[in-house]
Amino acid sequence: MVFLEVIDLVKDFGGVVANNHVSFQINQGEIIGLIGPNGAGKTTLFNCIVGYHKPDSGKVIFKGKEITGFKPFMTNREGIGRTFQLTKVTAGMTVLENVMVGAFCRTDDRLLAKIEAAAILGFMGLDSVKAFHLNELPIASQKKIGLARAIATQPELMMLDEVASGLNPKETEEMVELLKKIHREKKITLFLIEHVMEVVMPISQRVIVLDGGEKIAEGLPRDIVKNERVIKAYLGEKYAKGF
Amino acid sequence: METLRDAFDFRDFSKPEKVGFAIFSLFLLIFPWLGAGSFVKAVAIQFLLFSLFGMGWNTIGGYGGQVELGKAQYVGIGAYTVALMMVWWKIPFWVSMPIGILIAIGYSFIIGYPLFRLKGHYFAIATICTSLVLQDIFINWKLVGAAKGIELPIHEHPDFLYMQFKSDTYYFYFIMGLFYVAIFYMNWFRKSKLGYQLRMIKEDEEAAESLGIDARWCKIKAYSIASAFVAVGGGFLAVYNLYIDPYSVMDLDLSIKIALMSMLGGAGSMWGPIIGSAFLVPLDRFLGSWLGAQKGLIGVDFMIYAALIMIVSAYQPRGIWGIIEQFRKRGS
Amino acid sequence: MIVLDALFQGILMGLLFALVALGLTIIFGMMDIVNFAHGEFLMIGMYTTYWTSLLLHIDPLITLPASAIVGMLLGLASYYWLVKYLLRGPMIAQLFGTFGLMLFLRYLAQFLFGIDYRIIQKGLLVGKTLSLGPFRLDWTKLSAAIFSLIAFLLVYYLLHRTKLGKALRATALNREAANYMGIKTERMNALAWMIGGGTVGIAGGLIVNFWYVYPTIGLLFIMIAFASVAMGGFGSIKGAFFAGILIGMLEMLFPMFGHLTGWDFFGPHFKFTVVYFAYFIIVVLRPQGLFGWKR
Repeated sequence: MVFLEVIDLVKDFGGVVANNHVSFQINQGEIIGLIGPNGAGKTTLFNCIVGYHKPDSGKVIFKGKEITGFKPFMTNREGIGRTFQLTKVTAGMTVLENVMVGAFCRTDDRLLAKIEAAAILGFMGLDSVKAFHLNELPIASQKKIGLARAIATQPELMMLDEVASGLNPKETEEMVELLKKIHREKKITLFLIEHVMEVVMPISQRVIVLDGGEKIAEGLPRDIVKNERVIKAYLGEKYAKGF
Repeated sequence: METLRDAFDFRDFSKPEKVGFAIFSLFLLIFPWLGAGSFVKAVAIQFLLFSLFGMGWNTIGGYGGQVELGKAQYVGIGAYTVALMMVWWKIPFWVSMPIGILIAIGYSFIIGYPLFRLKGHYFAIATICTSLVLQDIFINWKLVGAAKGIELPIHEHPDFLYMQFKSDTYYFYFIMGLFYVAIFYMNWFRKSKLGYQLRMIKEDEEAAESLGIDARWCKIKAYSIASAFVAVGGGFLAVYNLYIDPYSVMDLDLSIKIALMSMLGGAGSMWGPIIGSAFLVPLDRFLGSWLGAQKGLIGVDFMIYAALIMIVSAYQPRGIWGIIEQFRKRGS
Repeated sequence: MIVLDALFQGILMGLLFALVALGLTIIFGMMDIVNFAHGEFLMIGMYTTYWTSLLLHIDPLITLPASAIVGMLLGLASYYWLVKYLLRGPMIAQLFGTFGLMLFLRYLAQFLFGIDYRIIQKGLLVGKTLSLGPFRLDWTKLSAAIFSLIAFLLVYYLLHRTKLGKALRATALNREAANYMGIKTERMNALAWMIGGGTVGIAGGLIVNFWYVYPTIGLLFIMIAFASVAMGGFGSIKGAFFAGILIGMLEMLFPMFGHLTGWDFFGPHFKFTVVYFAYFIIVVLRPQGLFGWKR
């Protein structure tokens, strides 16, 4: 069974067609990267899948069930987790409490939620900052907490929106290792939007490229970097011809 | 049951907080015998009542972050249910109050459903609207006494069935009892799943939704809880004043005061509404009686009130508790 | 025939409502703040014209500029002494901030002027009516409507054809970008409040010719303003215009409806419930209003 299937998705913002008949499939256990220049429609695609936007036409099918137009909390309960590019940094809840909220998705019991949250934080190496507030921590930690929170909802598919943005090279390396660990040990299928090639290329099994709202390429990372259309999209025609 | 355990578990509060609360409780317990005059007793009762109102509002307004300014309509629902049931069918308080709570909850679901499609300013204004509409209806509805209100028949004192007493001491312990029920409830609430989810919604609603939280439904639930709290206070008002009318129990001013107490004390914290009440109720009463006594100074008490609101809003929106927390953080 | 008359009256009143709503929508469009004290600004505008006309023995139409000036100063003062600080805080603080201002002005007025109802008794147009065919219109209302229209057009011209106006609109659309372009956004904020206060001050000066002023009249008009702004779309000037007129007509037609059907429920005392209700329904069904561009 195809894990996630997007069929002919169209999202029109009344002037800008952000997603123009996009289709692709993801199999369970894969790590898929989604790249493309700014404004290609990557985040819109994400939002259409998780339910933040309702697509104008097309279908989204997850684990055989059609979830097109489902609200975000519904897609989450179906098993899709997501992180945000920019986490709202607030001072109201501690790190542990944040992750507990995620855990509460699957249980009604506070003690269980607390244990689950603590376990996840340990898994991510965030044990030491359990009692801190988000606004007291550096970006790298904030990103990890966003991840932890989403993982607590026990998703089978995780959609990561630029999880590596704002990280320095060392932090980026850590993130790559962390993502691999999550994929391996938690058995979660990963779907990443990324601009940071150092993250996407090493870990993706397949890469999908969007440009101007359309899917222009799909395939193995090493083939994508040589793809003329992709190079043109990023660097312009001049460079595409040069290869 | 775990719920009860949670309600009585104050372990996660700091030592000064626990000690402070214990001393405060002790003080409340012996208060009626400290020989205070009837005016002071009345203020004390008002303080506890508004703490109750404030804690209710805090559920949706503080923890939930949804500023709503229409709580008075539920005070009215509670008050009128108790009053009317007594006047029409001689139903005792202990039966009419639960019914009042049910009506308040029911009504809150009915208007909550469309109401929570809105956010922010639109939402706040809409809550004002609903309260004004209900008040308008009651002012013109002859069946429930219209603008003249309802007068409750006086019974032989003390009457525990209809909760009528000659001495304020009884009323004091009554409202104190309700106050403590509210505190234990709030203590449970902030540790409950709904409490956590609500706080997440307040922090970042989008993120909350991505974590499987049906934000709208959560808000409606919290709103209903708040309405129930406030309705109980309304019921109390009915048997305390033995007279209610749409202006005294459903007024916009009342809604404002309720929200204000919580905000001043610190919305979103357990003690905030109580602190806010402790500050504002005596201020309001003493100011009112002192200034009201001098002719030509009508409205000055409100002006001072208003100035206070503006200053707090501009400089310390997190209220008194916010200030206390800041000091604590600096100390550690 | 009575229906047509009611409709016409509705349009006249509607133009005034539109002017009242204009200030509110400009301020919201600028900085996402709902000025709860807007009704009180109106009230002060009313009192200004009333007192200046009475004490100086000048026709109220001539003292109208005084209301405008007082309104503008009030707006400016509110911004620099209060709103500027509120902008830093969370929404709840902003809400309460302008709410506090509302209460403060209301009770200040009560303290200064007492609770008596007052209305302009002497003036060039007071009490005179114009007969147009089968219609009889009060000159006060008619002139008020005309002045409102003129004021509206002036503001529209200011915002769309002058450099200053464009700067204002730019700031409203994208504050950061405007800043980068060299527009002093602080001044734009203050300007928005000045225009907001000024226009509603004028509205007040016009209304007091045929409507009683008392310290708490603000509440009534703010609800109408909210409904107009919500219906027209928060931040939209065109919206404020059309919605104001619509509400004016609704107000007149509602009791008319009651008249015709004999249903007491639609009686005059429920006239304003209609407005509250209208707000609720509109905002729930179409949150962005008719022309709204701000969410």
